[in-house]
Amino acid sequence: MDGSNPVSRRSLLHGMGAFGALAYLPFLQACKGGSKEGAAGAAAEPVADVWARYKGTTINFISENTPPSAAIAANLKPFEDLTGIKVNISQMELTKLVEKVSLDFSSGQAGFHVIYADPYQVLAPFSEGLVDLSKFLDKKDSVPALENGLSDFISTQLDAGGRFLDRQKLYALPYDTPTMIWHYRADLFEKHKDKMAHDLGFDATPSIQLTWEQYYAIARWFDKNAKSEIPYGTGHQAKQHDALMCDFSNVLWAYGGDYFQAGPELGLTGTKKPGKSTLSSNEAIAAAEYYNKLLKLAHPGSRTWDWDGVASAFQAGQIAMCPNWHEFAASNEKALPGKVGYAPLPKGPKRSANMWGGTGVGINANASDKEQAAAWLFINWATSPATQFMTLASEKGGGTPTRHSVYARPEVEAAKKRPSQLPNILAAEAVSEAWKPENIGLRPKVATWNQLDTILFTQVSRMLAGELKPDEAMRSSAEKFDVVNKV
Amino acid sequence: MRRDRPTSRSAPITVAGVLALFVLVWTLAPVVWMVVSSFKPTPAIKTASPTWLFAPTLEHYRDLIGAGNDVRPFAQNSLLAAGLSTVLAVGLGALGGYGLAHWHHKSKKHLAFWIISTRMAPIAAVILPLFILFRQLGLIDSIAGLTLAYLSFNLPFAIWLMSAFFADVPPSLEEAARVDGCSRWQAFWYVVLPTTTPGLVTTGVLCLVFSWNDYAFASSFSGPGSQTLPMAAGRLITQGGVDWGQLTALGTIIVLPMIFAGLAVRRWLVTGLTMGAVTGE
Amino acid sequence: MKRAIPSFEMRMMLPALLVLASLSLIPFVTLIVMSFSHVKLMGGIRFENAGLENWHRLLEDADVRSSWVTSLVYFALTLGIEMALGIVFALVLHRVVRGRNLLLALAIVPMFMAPIVVGLLGRFLTDSTLGLYAWALRILGFEGDLLAGKTSALFTVIGMDVWEWTPLVALVTFAGLSAVPAPLVEAAAVDGAGYFQTLRYIVFPQIRQVLLVALLVRAMDAIRFFDIITITTNGGPADATKIIPVRLYETAFRFRELGYASVIGILMLAFSILMANAFVRVLGEKGLTR
Repeated sequence: MDGSNPVSRRSLLHGMGAFGALAYLPFLQACKGGSKEGAAGAAAEPVADVWARYKGTTINFISENTPPSAAIAANLKPFEDLTGIKVNISQMELTKLVEKVSLDFSSGQAGFHVIYADPYQVLAPFSEGLVDLSKFLDKKDSVPALENGLSDFISTQLDAGGRFLDRQKLYALPYDTPTMIWHYRADLFEKHKDKMAHDLGFDATPSIQLTWEQYYAIARWFDKNAKSEIPYGTGHQAKQHDALMCDFSNVLWAYGGDYFQAGPELGLTGTKKPGKSTLSSNEAIAAAEYYNKLLKLAHPGSRTWDWDGVASAFQAGQIAMCPNWHEFAASNEKALPGKVGYAPLPKGPKRSANMWGGTGVGINANASDKEQAAAWLFINWATSPATQFMTLASEKGGGTPTRHSVYARPEVEAAKKRPSQLPNILAAEAVSEAWKPENIGLRPKVATWNQLDTILFTQVSRMLAGELKPDEAMRSSAEKFDVVNKV
Repeated sequence: MRRDRPTSRSAPITVAGVLALFVLVWTLAPVVWMVVSSFKPTPAIKTASPTWLFAPTLEHYRDLIGAGNDVRPFAQNSLLAAGLSTVLAVGLGALGGYGLAHWHHKSKKHLAFWIISTRMAPIAAVILPLFILFRQLGLIDSIAGLTLAYLSFNLPFAIWLMSAFFADVPPSLEEAARVDGCSRWQAFWYVVLPTTTPGLVTTGVLCLVFSWNDYAFASSFSGPGSQTLPMAAGRLITQGGVDWGQLTALGTIIVLPMIFAGLAVRRWLVTGLTMGAVTGE
Repeated sequence: MKRAIPSFEMRMMLPALLVLASLSLIPFVTLIVMSFSHVKLMGGIRFENAGLENWHRLLEDADVRSSWVTSLVYFALTLGIEMALGIVFALVLHRVVRGRNLLLALAIVPMFMAPIVVGLLGRFLTDSTLGLYAWALRILGFEGDLLAGKTSALFTVIGMDVWEWTPLVALVTFAGLSAVPAPLVEAAAVDGAGYFQTLRYIVFPQIRQVLLVALLVRAMDAIRFFDIITITTNGGPADATKIIPVRLYETAFRFRELGYASVIGILMLAFSILMANAFVRVLGEKGLTR
């Protein structure tokens, strides 16, 4: 966190930068010569050498208030020891982050050097503001390479989280990968298993085999039969906020609706011209009708909750189940040890859709070359297998790895069962099911997404408030989408 | 201070007492709850029904100063930006206020109108062009930028308020000084200005309060190097839940200094807040 | 005594006026230019001429219109409630004899709190899981969440603003009450007038100007701040609390349409200039109660 010595810090930094650049030149020559010799001889020196080049630089990292960032913020010492670079981490809610990043890019100066680049709200709208990381991937000898190379990253996540429009350019390294899945109170489901099966006519144990209609029936059952144990059956993130779009999209896709016609390319690489919106289709309207019905049954606080709010309510024992990001597993485990189960979201007439919310970390193109290189060192370290394992195991809540090599570790395998040293892995089975191409939910990656997102969650919010009928909400959304996209 | 003469109607006075109690409870309950909660251990805050008895703890305040979470740089920035802006506003405002009070010209009303309209400008509208300007001048993410932004509402306020105070200084005072051989400036500096000390203090305190409490400007113009205290609250909303313990502690830290400062100039508060339109105690 | 320009008074004002001019005139002109442009910020500021496009868009934008309506409703309700409650508080406090000073000091505490803290405190109190007020309402039988419904959310944020600023109105009104000459009130008592009669025929006419000042001072700030809404509902639910400043901020900094946002900004400025006009007209150049 920064703010220290504001007036002098900046001038100090500029002074240091200038001085450093000058003092640096002779060493650069020596280094270049040195590494050539090093490569020829034993390669013992270059590793530390290449990490420690930017000693004394300070960089600023802006991130959403996610568990991996919390874990890294609490554990920066290894990086600082390795590189001598000071990192100031600013964490905030996603909406605020998007605003701040927008302001920062617009300011022409690089206030933040490392940027948490949400693929939809930051990467797609602001891709010109991010550095194409290929330049660091190619510069083998002056910056450290990625451990295990680019292929260690799960490829769909590399594409979805790191690229936009151009498959040759990489704007961000996959950093975290939260996915929306079904959280439920396994203890309560276990306790009432037989009675529920009897009353409902089906096995209520959450799984991908259940349908959204059955989800509704289960919620209603809890409301009627278990009020004393748990106030409400279901709760949702239905605030007039990006969270509502996330929650609604799962239902939208499950019913066969979608935002635009284009196929999976739209979610992976993105597009400049998405075409006309398909939100006015019958499937989309059916989804909206169901969602409206579901929210009438849900905990009344749902309309004031974003994902943090619904997680708090779930952890406080206010709701029996909810769709939410799997990264809350660690804090769930802290609040309700051993009581929480996970499953992929139920399916609709078309399929089960599980919203993917992964993000990469990128570098601000307004930063100076030195700062960019220092930033590269940081994002390299922050997404390395060792760090990803560290955040997974961290007490601060833990992220989820985006690298194959981390999942392959025996400790990670073992953690899938309780008692788990790595609580976030408890959701791993559900999450890996959710990541299958037929189950994953990817929203459109388009430059106008911030406006489209706002339109969608405003119209759905109006529907939930009773101001619009479901079909009106969907049709008006489609119309407004087309106005923004100029089709 | 006027006192009601004791009348034969004792009943309404008791009614007033009860009503006054309601007013107090309505006004102070949230503040008291916030301060109390800042001393509660987190599990005691998160309960569905309020906890009245608990073991007080300083952990939230300690966490606010803890490594990686330190609010002290934020406090420093707040103090710098608010303080600098206040000093500039009061300084320029005293000079300007004196000038305005004694300027007799047909355009005076227009000038006064222009000054007050700058004070009334909606912050959201002002942020836009100021952002562009600050960007060009490299003032984003700087205390200087924040200081100037605060000056945009503190300065007109200070000019207007100080002019009201100066208008109340008897002209004979200044005349006597001039007769004694003082130049106009000396008369101003050594004779007139000291009599408006309450005005200077009140203006200073109010400017400080308005700047310290600002969120919109800070949110738009500050960067990692210049975040102020109100911005610190955003960090405490994490995906592990909102840290209400630290938030209430932070809230307490933000409001307490301003409450004390405001109460210190209570005597001239009405004059200050109405910019001289109403004088009262 | 007339002197050649620049007079001493003029020279005293000049520094302040120059600074003020640069902080207000330049931004004002910039705002106007922006309203006729498409503003590009990434990679250097560029203003591309857009003619009347932004203005034209305003005419067709139903969302901005509804934000204006919401703003006016919010404005009228907060002011109205603050005035009414403020007068009542002042009357109550004025009636009390012992400890009046202390009471007044305590009653004005909310005024000095940062609006953002008031908003967060409001969230803390109305949170359906752990809020004190939410709990109290549950006991009284109210089950929903205050910030979830359109009307209740609007009234809740109004309530927070009212809580913070009613003390200001109360304080100013109290000063006005203190200035009512005691002989007038006593004469009315001797004539047998009751409390409310005295209020209506003697006190209110005396404090009318003061009330007007309080109204205008509050009106001036009511259109400036939007921190409370930003930190609680951020415009929702269903745009019920999306007052104009919130929409402007979103248009400018989330959608990056600065040209269009400038148009909205100019309209807001026009509104505030109307208010300023009223203020100056009522006040003249000097104080009222002396």
